[in-house]
Amino acid sequence: KFRMPTADNLVPIRLDIETEGQRYKDAFTWNPSDPDSEVVVFAKRTVRDLKLPPQFITQIAQSIQTQLTEFRSYEGQDMYTAEKIVPIKLDLRVNHTLIKDHFLWDLNNYESDPEEFARTFCNDMGIEDPEVGPAVAFAIREQLYEIAIQSVASAREIKISKKGRRGAEHAISSKGGGNALDLMKLFRYNSSVVRKRKEWYVYEPIVDILSNEEVDALEAREDRNTR
Amino acid sequence: MEMPQYDPNTKPEFELYTIPSHSSWFRWDDIHETERTALKEFFDGSSISRTPKIYKEYRDFMINKYREEPSRRLTFTQVRKSLVGDVSLLHKVFRFLDEWGLINFGAVSRGDDSDNRDSSLGDTELKNQVKIEEGAPNGVRVVALPNSLKPISVPNSGADGSGNGKVAVAGETGVKLPPLASYSDVFGDLVKLKGFKCGSCGEQCNSGCYEYSKQGSFVICEKCFKNGNYGEDKSKDDFRFSDLGGNSLTHGATWTEAETLLLLESVMRHGDNWELVAQNVPTKSKLDCISKLIELPFGEFMMGSAHEMNSCPTGSLNSLKEGQSASSENQNDVKMEDQVHDQMNESKQNGDAATEEPPAKRKRIAPLSDGGSTLIKQVAHISTMVGPHVTAAAAEAAVAALCNESSCPREIFDGDEDYLANGLSSPTMVSDPERALQVDASKMEENQSETQDASSEKNDVPLNLRIRTATATALGAAAANAKLLADQEDREIEHLVAIIIETQMKKLHSKINYFDDLELIMEKEYNEMMQLKECLVEERIDVLERALKTGVSKWRS
Repeated sequence: KFRMPTADNLVPIRLDIETEGQRYKDAFTWNPSDPDSEVVVFAKRTVRDLKLPPQFITQIAQSIQTQLTEFRSYEGQDMYTAEKIVPIKLDLRVNHTLIKDHFLWDLNNYESDPEEFARTFCNDMGIEDPEVGPAVAFAIREQLYEIAIQSVASAREIKISKKGRRGAEHAISSKGGGNALDLMKLFRYNSSVVRKRKEWYVYEPIVDILSNEEVDALEAREDRNTR
Repeated sequence: MEMPQYDPNTKPEFELYTIPSHSSWFRWDDIHETERTALKEFFDGSSISRTPKIYKEYRDFMINKYREEPSRRLTFTQVRKSLVGDVSLLHKVFRFLDEWGLINFGAVSRGDDSDNRDSSLGDTELKNQVKIEEGAPNGVRVVALPNSLKPISVPNSGADGSGNGKVAVAGETGVKLPPLASYSDVFGDLVKLKGFKCGSCGEQCNSGCYEYSKQGSFVICEKCFKNGNYGEDKSKDDFRFSDLGGNSLTHGATWTEAETLLLLESVMRHGDNWELVAQNVPTKSKLDCISKLIELPFGEFMMGSAHEMNSCPTGSLNSLKEGQSASSENQNDVKMEDQVHDQMNESKQNGDAATEEPPAKRKRIAPLSDGGSTLIKQVAHISTMVGPHVTAAAAEAAVAALCNESSCPREIFDGDEDYLANGLSSPTMVSDPERALQVDASKMEENQSETQDASSEKNDVPLNLRIRTATATALGAAAANAKLLADQEDREIEHLVAIIIETQMKKLHSKINYFDDLELIMEKEYNEMMQLKECLVEERIDVLERALKTGVSKWRS
């Protein structure tokens, strides 16, 4: 059954609202089992804390609600649940910290915890900005969410096309999207799971601290891109 | 690698790596049961990406990687880039090795509050370290216009002394953002307004200040004005006198304990008649009294809902606490909790400790925790989590803190302790706590009889004092009961030890008996042996005689 393939079933919610010359961007995780009345409460509190004009309340609430409904629409459906190890890429900027990373994640591991990964990441890399951790966890969750949605779609396709096929596995590995790694190849008996040294840099995280000017320049470019 | 390859030309060097003794099961060539149990995923054959061989590779790689530089702490991020596999699973292996000391055993540990590994190694103390940050979180930059990159910053705390103004966020001063609404909701009323500070001599202007009327915010105190220290370029006429004494903005600033006590008593007696109250408290004006009273926690209660107090003259703890909890629910819960939290946290914690330990006393004390605040529940939870000796230490600390805060509770406590000491020294168990409680109750009655002078419409029992008395009583009860339990434990221990000794004795006895029997048997056997020996000797002699008789020349001995 569909759910976020992590220990906590939290939905990533992204907000980007522009009204009356003010723009509010945010990203956070929401627990879909919270009652929907909480959405409006949250919107009101956010607007009050950030002193935004009150038009934002309805817009924020609406946006959250839409994303939640979308999540719930997937909920009843089946998800393809065989093991699937996908590469996750991080490429994000949080205030002055720029992060690029690349690693593997097992979609079928329902005890995986993006928040714990983010915590370890920040501790190991000595990141002091407390907003980086949640942003990293959010980015991971978002990607997992997308992949989960894709797997619902592919599960549907497979059901339809199952009638003549031999093994679902075989079909899956060809249909699972270019994302999934071919487990057979990687974990073969005579190959090693230790990567060759020359490949280490590919999977190594890069953390950069930017200066103010660089941040401003990047922000300007992002704004231009999103318009 | 642990050992370099053996080279016949050079002596092999062995490097020693330390691992804790509880990990001595570890072998390079093998996978131990501990590993199989902790990391089942690799050993249940559920996937081709998780096999024992793969596990061994992960493990060996991580340990070797650590041993390349044993003094440096190996981080997960350093190893995961070199290993193929799900990062969550790799992290699990890493954590396993870390906990068993197979990696990072000799490394410098980081002093990191949020390090989960350290805290998972059995740290039972509360690690809820709350960091209080001032200002909006660093990253929140609310931009006024889409094209402007200037962040909106928070205004500095103004000279009107509103201490809840937050520090400005880094950035240019654009549109000013007032402090978080939630903060001012909670703490706004508690803020004391500052007195004015003299611009020229730097002291507090207590009685009166002269305000520079041309420019606005320059203030000097009376002394400086008289002395002629007007500051640069200012003349006498420019100053305007403003009397702070009667000004509702400022107070006579310092309220000593004695004054507070006087105030409370006189409010208790005179209620709303502020003239009389102000007369009784000699150094403070009417307005001062009112504002101070409002500021006191429960000050509003004293003026409001203490009717219920007076209507129950029996002075039982129940009514006191019910009244208190009822009134607390009437008022602003949030504010109450915060104020209560600040001042009474310890005492309530101990009130709760009392609720845990003596089940027989639960009825009398329970209403306190039925006050309904989640704070209590948290405190209760916390006190159940820690051992009894911790709660006892906390109780002591709370008593000390309460005593230190004001002299009044000290009297109450000391009075309590005297009674307690007497009570505890007597051997009768059950009557003790009740006696202590009764003593306290009678003390309460005394207190209340004083207040009975007031007519029924007058409110005001010193709630503060009452609460403290109540908590003192609760603490007394807790102490008494703890002593009871301790005594009981002692007796049980003695009893059990006696049983043990008895059993040992019996064991020894039976052993002795057994050995006695053995001895007897041995003796008998010995006797038999001797007899046999004699028989044999006789037979031998017989044989020799016959041999001689028959003339055998040679015989064998």
